[in-house]
Amino acid sequence: MLFFSFFKTLVDQEVVVQLKNDIELKGTLQSVDQFLNLKLDNISCTDTKKYPHLGSVRNIFIRGSTVRYVYLNKNIVDTNLLQDATRREAMSERK
Amino acid sequence: MSFFGFDPSGPKSKERNNDGGNKPLDFDDTYGGLGDYEQEEGDYLNAETFGADVELGNDFDFGHSESNQSGASATIQQPSHVHRSYVAAASQGVSSSNPAQLDTSIDLKPMESLWTAGEQEYQQEQQPQQPQVMSMEDIERQQRQMQMAAAAHQQAPSQQGFMQMPPPPHNFPMQGLPPQQPYQQDQPNSQFVNQYPPHMIPPPAMQGHPNQFQQMPPMFNHHQSQIPNPNQHYPQMYPTPPPNFQEHHGQQQQPQLPLQPPQPPQQGNGYSASPQTLPQPQLAHQQVSPPTTTQIQTELQPPAGVSRSILASPQSVASPRTESNVTSASPQPLQQEQQEHYQVRSPEQQLPVRNIQKQMQQRREPLTPEEQKRLQVRHAKVEKIMKHSGVMTPRDKDFITRYQLSQIVTDDPYNEDFYFQVYKIIQRGGIVGGESNKGSIARAYLEHSGHRLGGRYKRADIALQRMQSQVEKAVTVAKERPQKNKDNVEKITGREGVLGKISSAMNSKAPRRQLLIPSHKASRISNEDELQSLLLASSASPSTSSLDGTDEHNNSHQPVDAASLANVPALEDVTQHLGNVEISQNSKSRRRSSYAFTSVDQNSVLSRSGGRKFVLSLIETVYREVLELEANLRSGKEINNTLLWEALHVDDDIYEVCPFISMLTFDKGVKIMPRIFNFLDKKQKLKLLQTFFSELSHLNIIIISSYKTNPTPTDNQLKKIDLFQTVFLKIIVSFLSNNSNFIEIMGLLLHLIKNNNVSFISTSKIGLNLITVLISRAALIRQDSNRSNGLSSPEISAWNEIYDKLFTALESKLASVFPPQEYLDKVLKVMDEQQQQHLPHYNSGNSPSNVQFYDQSYIWQFLASLALSGKLNHQRIIIDEVREEIFGTINAAEELLNSNEIDKANATYRREKLYQDLNLFLNVMGLVSRDGEISELK
Repeated sequence: MLFFSFFKTLVDQEVVVQLKNDIELKGTLQSVDQFLNLKLDNISCTDTKKYPHLGSVRNIFIRGSTVRYVYLNKNIVDTNLLQDATRREAMSERK
Repeated sequence: MSFFGFDPSGPKSKERNNDGGNKPLDFDDTYGGLGDYEQEEGDYLNAETFGADVELGNDFDFGHSESNQSGASATIQQPSHVHRSYVAAASQGVSSSNPAQLDTSIDLKPMESLWTAGEQEYQQEQQPQQPQVMSMEDIERQQRQMQMAAAAHQQAPSQQGFMQMPPPPHNFPMQGLPPQQPYQQDQPNSQFVNQYPPHMIPPPAMQGHPNQFQQMPPMFNHHQSQIPNPNQHYPQMYPTPPPNFQEHHGQQQQPQLPLQPPQPPQQGNGYSASPQTLPQPQLAHQQVSPPTTTQIQTELQPPAGVSRSILASPQSVASPRTESNVTSASPQPLQQEQQEHYQVRSPEQQLPVRNIQKQMQQRREPLTPEEQKRLQVRHAKVEKIMKHSGVMTPRDKDFITRYQLSQIVTDDPYNEDFYFQVYKIIQRGGIVGGESNKGSIARAYLEHSGHRLGGRYKRADIALQRMQSQVEKAVTVAKERPQKNKDNVEKITGREGVLGKISSAMNSKAPRRQLLIPSHKASRISNEDELQSLLLASSASPSTSSLDGTDEHNNSHQPVDAASLANVPALEDVTQHLGNVEISQNSKSRRRSSYAFTSVDQNSVLSRSGGRKFVLSLIETVYREVLELEANLRSGKEINNTLLWEALHVDDDIYEVCPFISMLTFDKGVKIMPRIFNFLDKKQKLKLLQTFFSELSHLNIIIISSYKTNPTPTDNQLKKIDLFQTVFLKIIVSFLSNNSNFIEIMGLLLHLIKNNNVSFISTSKIGLNLITVLISRAALIRQDSNRSNGLSSPEISAWNEIYDKLFTALESKLASVFPPQEYLDKVLKVMDEQQQQHLPHYNSGNSPSNVQFYDQSYIWQFLASLALSGKLNHQRIIIDEVREEIFGTINAAEELLNSNEIDKANATYRREKLYQDLNLFLNVMGLVSRDGEISELK
């Protein structure tokens, strides 16, 4: 649940999603579910020359399993809190 | 009426469905009873779907609803289709029913094509019934059965296709509807006898259950009732017949009834056209149909023929639908379809048919290539849309939504959604929790899923309410889940796979781990502990014996200490107060090792406190305890810090170096300290600080920050020093200023002096700071109590004793508190590099203005506080020792005055700063230095 919880805090933030097929999409994170499927709005493809078909796409639903990376703005992550959350998760699993 | 498993009448259908054992999908199984939460959901759409005045129950009168529907749908009728062939109109009709409508509100509106498809199948299945009605039919049936037997082999593939249909549409209505005999007798069932081509005859298995088919008549009747005005029922599918035809049709409708054996040749052929779309049965049909048609021709009743040919059109309309559903074959090119159509029809035209019929056929014929192309495109488009439409009913969607919610929603947000919850609190300063939390989840989910209720912005409030109630239910489901897991595993596994791979293990909460770490870690650690202690014990005895010399040394020192303590009863008094100042002999020997520079190597320190792994695991344990305590604090539970205290290992004598000191080696160990202090009582805090000061020499940060042991500090180490200073010194200062009394401070200082090489510690920035904090606080308290006379004379004399010890330790080494110039240069260099990295945009030309300087104020602060507590002779010694530094500082300040003009502002500032720091010390002794001269403070 940690990653779901984490990505929920990124809603309405701009992220760059790199898919496993190397497509990189920049967009505003609209929503995320527990499978980490992502919905992006106002997307733009970083490599429009290579993937021209994405030029006309405004928003997109990405299946979570196809995501390789999500690039985040450093400032929107509370690292100390994330550390705590990680420890809590590990704790609850141990129980 | 139902299609594709949609069940408008709620729970009733469930009972009816029970006798369908051969269905591919059993909804009772797949729902697992969850659907019962809201039995009536979606009911308000029934009016929209089936008309407002549909009667439920056994007495089905579809005539009413039909008339309503026909009225409604007639408005959509498109006159442009009038002069097109039925086939063209048919395929167009589907697409012309507005693709947008199809894909968005597909579950809200009745789909004409679906209805016709249903009828087609109802017609097929009606067949076995007819023998019951008429004797003539018996004969025909026998004939047909013979034909069927012949065609049976070819039929096989097509039947398979039927079976593959996810929820066979004909299953539900057929079995669900009660028999209505009167209609059967009144209406000419025979009309349909030969309408279907042989391959459309229901699978033999179905014929084996005549009971099922007896229940069909309602559907059949329903279809019959459509006949009078077919153009209205299917306005988009086939053109409006010319008025005269309509009249004729209307007239003929009644006479049709008595005509018992109506054998429509055109009908048979007309149908044969539609089945062409079914790729596999084509052969079968063409082989079998001829006998039927010939037989029919003899008995042909023209009027019936007309009506039937109209009936045929729905069939052809339904064909694309049937194709996409029944067979998963790739879409057959429409052109081919058309051609076949013509082929079959050509004999029709030779038959003696009425004018109207001829007219209609003529209308069918003209299809420009352009039109065909367009049709083809549309056909493909419609097929694409229809392929997966209606696969899920609204109930299915709700069920899935609820299941997903039950995976997400938790009634324990702080534990399972910790990051999000706390992050939002930090960001907004508001608490997201309880009901509002559920509400927000529901709202988010509505927006997210584009739910049919919320997504369309209609009835959004109702949808929200319902979603919230679903969330509530999901929470209860989630709550119950753990017990279920334990109780009956079979039930869970039964539900597994409903939504793909949702296991009882809750993937979302406990995702598969990449690394599987054996869980007997804890036991291994304890083993390690034992080993470690064994090793220590074994190594301790020889070492103590071999170190007897040093011990001797210690003892020789110690008696002096003890004697001095004994000589001063006041101090003994204090030490009694201090409790554990006298360290047990056992631990004393190891403490002595701190005098040597054995602690320079961080790894050796770690290994002497149980090993790096052990220390790291201790830190994690501490974190765990702190998190738990914080959670308890939040939920208002009682706080018990014994576990935390144990985890800190503060008074753990097993190890040569206290594990707690080693914890401070790591940044995360330092960072957690303020949070630890929140949960410790005063006694524990004091004990912790005593340990801390006792083993200061082992502290990694002291070694890092000492210019002696670490002459070339790295960027990372400087950061560490900064971190320690901001985090840990703050704690100590606040503890000393808020909680401690004079005796406690003396005790801490005593710990520091007795167990550490003070002169070494004074060479490190952190160490010097720590000493400064202690003596300045003591001095402050002494000043305060001088006025109020709060200190007893034994206390004062004890303080003097301790101060003397401290001063003795520092005497003749006071100058060494100033780091050498090389060290300062290196630190400045590292800081400069770091700044360059962080501010790459500043070109080096500007760097002089940003130039760093080593802040020595902490040294002057130390000297000031040392002088403050000392007597005059102490102050004299201090000044003697640091005289060079004083003049050096004054000189440096005066040199800054002569520096070039570029960084004048900076130079003046630095000069001010230097004088300020210096005067902090000089002022203690009543001196002040200004403009290169030292004068007495006035």
